[in-house]
Amino acid sequence: MSSNSNTMQFPLSEKFIHAIKKGQLPAYTSELAPADTTLSDSDVIDLFETQIMSRHLDFQSRVMQKQGKSFYTIGSSGHEGNAAVAEALRFNDMAFLHYRSGAFMIQRSKQVPGQTPLYDMMLSFAASSEDPISGGRHKVLGSQSLYIPPQTSTIASHLPKAVGTAYSIGLSSTLGLDGKLKNDSVVLCSFGDASANHSTAQGAINAAAWASYQSAPLPIIFLCEDNGIGISTSTPKGWIEANFSHRPGLNYLQCDGLNLLDTYQTTQHAIHIARKRHQPVFLHMKLVRLLGHAGSDTESAYRTKQSIAHDESQDPLMHNASMLIHHGLMTADQVISLYESVAERIKRISEVACNRPRLEDAKQVMQSIVPPAIQTNSPPLVLTDQGRANLFRHEKHNIAKKQHMAKLINWALHDIMASYKNTVLCGEDIARKGGVYNVTSHLCEEFGPARVINTLLDEQSILGLAIGLAHNGFLPIPEIQFLAYVHNAEDQIRGEAATLPFFSNGQFTNPMVIRIAGLAYQKGFGGHFHNDNSFAVFRDIPGVIIACPSNGADAAAMLRTCVELAHREQRLVIFIEPIALYMQKDLYEVGDGKWCFDYPVPNQSSAMKLGDIGVYGEGKQLAIISYGNGYYLSRKAEKLLAEKGVECRIIDLRWLAPLNEKAIVNAVADCEHILIVDECRKTGSISEAIMTLFSESSQRQPTQRITAQDCFIPLGSASYLVLPSVEQIVDTALNMTQGESS
Amino acid sequence: MTTQQKQTAVVVCPGRGTYNKEELGYFHRLHADKLNILDVIDQHRQDHNQVSIKELDSAARYQMKKHTAGENASALIYACAKGDYESINLAQYDIKAMTGNSMGWYIALALSNALNTEASIELINTMGSMMTSGIIGGQLIYPVVDENWHIDEQLIAEVEKAKILVDSMQGSDVHDSIYLGGYLVLGGNQAALDTLFKVLPTIQDRYPMPLHNHAAFHTPLLNPVSTKAKEQLGVSLFQTPKIPLVDGQGKVWQPYATDIKALREYTLGHQVTETYNFTKAVEVSLKEFAPDKLIILGPGATLGGAIGQCLVQNQWLNIKTKADFIQKQKEDPFVLSMGIQEQRQLVV
Repeated sequence: MSSNSNTMQFPLSEKFIHAIKKGQLPAYTSELAPADTTLSDSDVIDLFETQIMSRHLDFQSRVMQKQGKSFYTIGSSGHEGNAAVAEALRFNDMAFLHYRSGAFMIQRSKQVPGQTPLYDMMLSFAASSEDPISGGRHKVLGSQSLYIPPQTSTIASHLPKAVGTAYSIGLSSTLGLDGKLKNDSVVLCSFGDASANHSTAQGAINAAAWASYQSAPLPIIFLCEDNGIGISTSTPKGWIEANFSHRPGLNYLQCDGLNLLDTYQTTQHAIHIARKRHQPVFLHMKLVRLLGHAGSDTESAYRTKQSIAHDESQDPLMHNASMLIHHGLMTADQVISLYESVAERIKRISEVACNRPRLEDAKQVMQSIVPPAIQTNSPPLVLTDQGRANLFRHEKHNIAKKQHMAKLINWALHDIMASYKNTVLCGEDIARKGGVYNVTSHLCEEFGPARVINTLLDEQSILGLAIGLAHNGFLPIPEIQFLAYVHNAEDQIRGEAATLPFFSNGQFTNPMVIRIAGLAYQKGFGGHFHNDNSFAVFRDIPGVIIACPSNGADAAAMLRTCVELAHREQRLVIFIEPIALYMQKDLYEVGDGKWCFDYPVPNQSSAMKLGDIGVYGEGKQLAIISYGNGYYLSRKAEKLLAEKGVECRIIDLRWLAPLNEKAIVNAVADCEHILIVDECRKTGSISEAIMTLFSESSQRQPTQRITAQDCFIPLGSASYLVLPSVEQIVDTALNMTQGESS
Repeated sequence: MTTQQKQTAVVVCPGRGTYNKEELGYFHRLHADKLNILDVIDQHRQDHNQVSIKELDSAARYQMKKHTAGENASALIYACAKGDYESINLAQYDIKAMTGNSMGWYIALALSNALNTEASIELINTMGSMMTSGIIGGQLIYPVVDENWHIDEQLIAEVEKAKILVDSMQGSDVHDSIYLGGYLVLGGNQAALDTLFKVLPTIQDRYPMPLHNHAAFHTPLLNPVSTKAKEQLGVSLFQTPKIPLVDGQGKVWQPYATDIKALREYTLGHQVTETYNFTKAVEVSLKEFAPDKLIILGPGATLGGAIGQCLVQNQWLNIKTKADFIQKQKEDPFVLSMGIQEQRQLVV
């Protein structure tokens, strides 16, 4: 392209006009005529207008960038055929779109009166705070009223949740719940041919096929917009078709993305399969990429002139102009008039949009990290005594007895699922088996396999399922079997679930409580991958709540609070359950039963609030701050220290993010020494945050910390060599308080 | 002026209630050179034994009952608006889209050529004459903004409360009729309106204000009118507009791409029986066409305030309050009402 001050000439545009004026458009050779479709002539023209609008938005974003007024130039040129996909779908078929979907967005906007897609798109280019979807936080394609949750520069990370959303549609119908989506909805998920290779895409498509293969309803269309190249790397010829056309459980259709009529008709076929047969469809749409990967991409550096010219000759606008003229729907002059009037209109709109306000301070930017609380129409059911007696009939001999953590979490889940009809558990082996630690036992029998879902072995799919369920109004409680297993799927939390409120200005949310069994100290089991003691991966994610109980009573109360936070405040909560404490019954000596607790019955016990810390003892010589296993060890140490005359106060953080800094500082204010016991690594553990807190506050007591080594967890007894121990706590405490080792 | 110096404009067509005492003689005063406009209109009216627009506009005195009656007011306002439209200096303004309020939608259809001259008067006169034997229900207007033209949640709550009360009363029926910038027009049957007049707090000593001779337009009460209209007015009356149209839902009807069956269905269906969202129509006109000016056709200038309120709601041109709007209008008016002489001079 060439440029002159604030205007730019686009050769692609000039070629288009030239070809029409000279009658040099590609011949329309398809046998498909507008009359062969269910589209009216005006519908076809309308689709073509949408394509032109999308094209000029691409051009204008580059002009705006040159003026320093736009910050995003990845465009949709060559992909404008997705307008026909939008036209074939209903506006409330949820669509997870990749970034070349400008035409889809415009066409869907036309299905709902009162939309302002051109202006809104310009606001998002300009990062204006008035951008109706992200509030100026990102250029995203999204709209609440159009059922398009925003995606950023996704590399297939949106596929798992699209699958989850599709699964939720059948589930909503099965359970008789009123979801946000209609029971006959279809989900659309688009991505490119390069992204199709991503493990996330492969995993999601595999999960959909896995479910469909066993006849689970999965009404989704995977729209693969195949332009043959990923930035500079070509997709092998025929690769997408070879890869996806013969997968079990997956229907494969192909269309010519340069031809509106073929795309529309094939999409209708795909929709029929998805909507009527509830099966996943891989819709392979062949098209071209024009204008390079983005504004900053110089195609000529890695493509031959001939290759670029070839793609330009396949411009879908030329092909569809040819079709319109060939079938007498428009004259050449009318096409040019339409093309130029849209260009002029978009230029005018951009001049207004460029001058709209932007976000002005950090507070404004951060306003949507935490989603807004909602007035829910469905408060949890309050069970009657009879109802609860029935719910716990299988435990009638145990319910009044003190129990260990695994049992109390299990009971809490029973109460939660009975009270919140939209809760769904999903994870590996959680159904009949009851999870590897029996924490979910009997739930499947009580609430059925529709609400206690055994998933395939893929954490990305589990989290994607949860996000998708939440998009449709469910309150998911996914389980990750072991903390180490979350690491291959963490982007579903970090890049997807946590960012959704932020990039949608609080309009879209995916509240959930993710239960993760984790941390170390399992006796004689596991090694690193079953004893992983790092959750640092969650600690810096804005807006996420991390909870970690140290005992069964707290666990039940905290889990209940977490669900309440997800239900009323739409929060994303991570609930880390210390595996080593699941079955721990004793505290000081074998058989003392002091780590068993009464079940805190709902509405009969005081509620646990987010940020409530636990304080044991009133000693002032030493405050020990800990959580999880560290708290348990500290309680053991406390007894030994008391015997040696050291009066301690043991603080259980319980809530690891956000830290209740004020409560922590207050709890230790009158103590002479502070010891932080952290079972996680020296580097990146919460102990660093606590040390920083004291360093930045006026707290000036001598403060030390005991942490795990910066090491992975070895097998067997060697594991204890790199983890904090009771002895270490006692020694350090004595050293601090008495200035000498015991 | 050269083409490059042209300004862009969206034209807004007036609704019922814009031809009042002050407007008597509007057409002949301003459009003596365009009497041909009346030829087709009055021929149609003569064929239907209706008093001519020529006579109505030239009457010695304004008669509320006569001049505001639907069968007269509609064609009268259409004639004046058409005259104004043809007076716009096209060397100065490039018209990018048209919209209208309520009956103004029919005028927008006419002036954008979605109806030809004969079809225009047929549709406008037919729709205006639907209730010659008695109008169905009525309308009242009530503000929902404060003195700065900011949405007043308290007033909205009062209206909601009143509507809930009316809904609970047997035989009372009320609906949102028009979202008109800072005003809400409610349409309902007489029992409903009587209750609303009693329970809605009086604002500015004027509101709730009844709209004389208006039916419960844009509410389900007009379902019979819609049915009758569809019987009488065929699709052959319609054609694709030459200028984009923004309807009372904020939908844009584009030249080339307009489905005339759908256009007729909306015009005689949804438009008649569902809320007319003029506020949204203005918002879409501003955002999707980004005009340099909004030109309101006469007669009258009552839409100016409502549009000003729309500008405030969208903080358009940084207009954030009523005072900002007044200031802007003084310095470099964005809204040009052809019913106001000094603004008219900037258009013709």
